[in-house]
Amino acid sequence: MKRWTCVEAGCSYELTAEDVPSAVEGAQRHIAEEHRSFELEEMIEDVLEDVSEPHGIDLYDSR
Amino acid sequence: MATTDHQHLDPSVVGKFHFTRELIEGPVYRKYQKAIRKFWSVEDLDFTQDALDWGAIDDEQKRGLLGVTVRFLAGEQNVTNELVPMLAAAQALRRFDWTVYLGTFLMEEAKHAEFFMRWHKEVVGVLEPEEVAQHFLVRGKTIDPSGRFEVRDVLHEALPYYGRRLLETTLEGTEAEIERAFVAFSAAYNAFVEGVLTMPSYEIVIDTTTSWNAFPTLRQGFRLILMDEGRHITFGTYACRLLIEKDPSYEDEVHRVFDAYRGNIVGLVEYQKAVPGLDLDKYQQMKVRHYKNRCREMGVTPDETLIEQILDPSIDFVVGVEAG
Repeated sequence: MKRWTCVEAGCSYELTAEDVPSAVEGAQRHIAEEHRSFELEEMIEDVLEDVSEPHGIDLYDSR
Repeated sequence: MATTDHQHLDPSVVGKFHFTRELIEGPVYRKYQKAIRKFWSVEDLDFTQDALDWGAIDDEQKRGLLGVTVRFLAGEQNVTNELVPMLAAAQALRRFDWTVYLGTFLMEEAKHAEFFMRWHKEVVGVLEPEEVAQHFLVRGKTIDPSGRFEVRDVLHEALPYYGRRLLETTLEGTEAEIERAFVAFSAAYNAFVEGVLTMPSYEIVIDTTTSWNAFPTLRQGFRLILMDEGRHITFGTYACRLLIEKDPSYEDEVHRVFDAYRGNIVGLVEYQKAVPGLDLDKYQQMKVRHYKNRCREMGVTPDETLIEQILDPSIDFVVGVEAG
């Protein structure tokens, strides 16, 4: 499992995904929808953390 | 043919070969492979619609857009010119994967310069240095009324400075000195210029051309360039991370670079304020995200005072821009 945390000012969103492509897709969707911006694939991949269990309020998403 | 008996091999012959299984499975070599797979060519782009759109916008819109694109035209040529010290240092540090990847990096910077050259030639009708220079917004006209911050020309001042230091150290210095100079150069080039300062400018152009429903090829070019830039930035921050893990005192170099050019980050500079009607607060917010991300990638602690200053609405530079 892979975890990504948003570091936009005032945002504490994090998501957990089964693999790297899913984490990239989820992170890019969050940045586009919540911050009207974009995040590059490499920049997401480089800060993904390995986690053993899904984390967050619902299964994959902290919202 | 394979053998496990390597004892008779001459080390000077073995030293002529650099590929290893670990190298080709590593993150930097993967960036090289991705750069090859994702190759794109300026020659495949069609500037016809952008030229029509240029004829349809008013003079204020032209001034605003050109203020940003001419900056990119100069900037991409400059970063192409300034990359050699990093290549030389990679060789000196015996990082063959870095050297291989930097080959694609340099080609991509040249291609980005080519893209802006072609866009200005085909769309605006300017190409010669004297033609484009008249649209370059002069940095000296951007001032902080409080006098706390100086807005310097990081691209044309810091990169040559840190590049010369890296090149001289590569020729004369110890391995540790080269590593330290590499961190400073990469912090300036990849983390500061590419990874924080310029990111809002990409969004400004994409947001502007989207809201105008115009210049599809300029927007397409920016998206293609950003794909490459993602690799450039994360190569530099990854290299910094590796070196800082080896000697944590190198982290000071990162903070010194960001501190020296703090004024360029805390406010929006002239070309970033040139397009009318944009939500400028958004670009300050995203600048914080990019700064924190670069710190996260490099494994360094963000400077909280810098973050507070970026978000401080009282820090607002006065832009008395003049075409230069």
